[in-house]
Amino acid sequence: MSKNDDNKPITAQKFMQYFRSYQKGSITRRHFLGVTGLGTAMAAMGTAIPSLWSGKAQAGDLGDRLIFSTWPNYHDQANLDEFTANTGVNIQVNAFGSNEEMLAKLQAGGTGWDVFVPTNYTISNYVALDLIQELDLSRIPYYDASANNPKFAGPATVNGKVYCVPKNWGTTGFVLNSKKIKSSPKSWKDFFDVTMGAGSGHTIVHDYQLTTIGAALCALGYSFNSIDPKELAAAEALLIKSKPHLFAITSDYQPGMRSGDAWMSICWNGDATQLHNDLPEMEYVIATDGGEIWTDFYAIPKDAPHLDAAYAFINYMQDPNIQAREAAVHGYAPTDSRAIALQPPSLASDPILHPAENLMNGLEFGAAQTLTDPVRAEVMARFKSA
Amino acid sequence: MREDKKPGRWLTAALLAPTSLWFLVMLIFPLIVILVFSFGERAAVGGYAPGFTLEHYANLPSRLKAFQNTMIIAPAGTLLSLLVAYPLAYFLALRVSRRYKLILLILVIVPFWTSLLVRTYAWIFILGGRGIPTLLEFIGFEGVRLINTPGAVLVGIVYGYLPLMVFPIFVSLEKLDKTLLEASSDLGSSPLKTFMQITLPLSMPGIATGCMLVFILLMGEFLIPAFLGGGKVFFIGNALVDLFLQSRNWPFGAAVSVTLVVIMLITVSLYMRMTLRSKTGRDESLM
Repeated sequence: MSKNDDNKPITAQKFMQYFRSYQKGSITRRHFLGVTGLGTAMAAMGTAIPSLWSGKAQAGDLGDRLIFSTWPNYHDQANLDEFTANTGVNIQVNAFGSNEEMLAKLQAGGTGWDVFVPTNYTISNYVALDLIQELDLSRIPYYDASANNPKFAGPATVNGKVYCVPKNWGTTGFVLNSKKIKSSPKSWKDFFDVTMGAGSGHTIVHDYQLTTIGAALCALGYSFNSIDPKELAAAEALLIKSKPHLFAITSDYQPGMRSGDAWMSICWNGDATQLHNDLPEMEYVIATDGGEIWTDFYAIPKDAPHLDAAYAFINYMQDPNIQAREAAVHGYAPTDSRAIALQPPSLASDPILHPAENLMNGLEFGAAQTLTDPVRAEVMARFKSA
Repeated sequence: MREDKKPGRWLTAALLAPTSLWFLVMLIFPLIVILVFSFGERAAVGGYAPGFTLEHYANLPSRLKAFQNTMIIAPAGTLLSLLVAYPLAYFLALRVSRRYKLILLILVIVPFWTSLLVRTYAWIFILGGRGIPTLLEFIGFEGVRLINTPGAVLVGIVYGYLPLMVFPIFVSLEKLDKTLLEASSDLGSSPLKTFMQITLPLSMPGIATGCMLVFILLMGEFLIPAFLGGGKVFFIGNALVDLFLQSRNWPFGAAVSVTLVVIMLITVSLYMRMTLRSKTGRDESLM
């Protein structure tokens, strides 16, 4: 994990935490011995256990900086601080509201990013554009491919090479304030009807082409991923018609929902959990007429300046314990079965984090071509400047 | 004579070289790049691909609303900043005793020490539903919406740009010869007349500079409308951010930029002409 951990004895509390994880089978024996220091102790006693924990091999000097680009409300600051405390690597976090914005920055070059969090549908594009590097999985010992559902982890592998490791998965639906909206909308069609009716002036849509255009497409009965110019034109018309009734176009929708200005918003399920935990009247809806299911990943840009720190950070974030702690704060489900096993029962059975399979039948993973499709890009830009 | 002139010419050239180089590298060259881009094509995955087309200029009307918003709210914001800044600058320059002047001036600058982004984000909460509207509810005004309106953007503009307006006006009022004010009142002018005939005309250079500073920056503003306009009060700066950072249509973004530069050149040169003419006019009448 870190050079400091090698010198400092593990606390009793942490030891028990790891021991339980080991008992439950969510971490391997090798891993258990490695992090608890038992392995080192045994090695010191002369027992030959080769390469106890490969992470140690590269726990040299990681530098003092890591530039990390991710999404809003997507981490527990305590974990980032712990990484800094363990390694001396300060993390500079940039939050983005759309994959397109991340792509634009990477295309322009010179980002200085070490790690970023792209969504499933962008990976093949990044590989084709030669913007991310193939991962050396031996430097991410916490990652266990077999613990990850291929449905979610699949997009990480392009042409047989692994370019990223999964972070979380989730759904894109909408959140509503049930004290204000009584008609219990169920679909994207309802969403836009309420926006232009009883909830006029109180709806937020994302500043993100995939989800906002996707929601309008679903409301019209088309595929979330459509790139058919006619269907996109219809979606644009619906969005522009609804624009005077919107409260805002932003991917940072929590402040608006919390202040009571906004009553309904396109929403990622983890934000819905965060809102619901604080304000029980916030309800999350997976639309019956479609929507998005997604996986986010950790990836390393081609020109990452702090490569060692990047690997150390990704490895740290893949630790099932850290994953579980992260999920407890941000409310998105881990893809890693070891981390799910560590979640408290209330979260592991939470319908927002882990919805019933049948509710997700209509959901689609974002399609790669939506990222670069010029028509979708221009429809979104025109809608915003309309 | 010829021998005298030559070293002088070299010296002039040498002295001008750094400035010329600066202008060439930092201004002319990027502008040429943008001009070339504006005739190119959007690459398949976004960005720029070489080509020659006028379609981006033909597509400009699709951003008409953004141009309109900017052309209305930028001058309005400048005017509002002037109306708020002038009394403040007047007070600081002419009414405050020396002892407090420096402290008060520093207080005007202090907000500049924090990023505009953070300060503008704070206004989201002040103008949001739990902020001022809640206070208004107490005195009987229900359902007032402030955030994500042009009004909120104007508040943000005045807040963010006030020091830029205060300082030039303060400087020109500070320089003002106080004996002129005494002479005016000795000759029987009312305070209002003194202000209109002496103080205001003599502070015109400060007003002109302040307005120019604020207006030029406002024409390219994107942060305040993005935060306090909620993406609904859309400036041309926001359209540019969108074109470069979201839809990655660099050629169209370049065409919008070129258009903005042309609009600015026309507006600013008209403005300069007006202020210069009124200044020479006054100088003549003074003589």
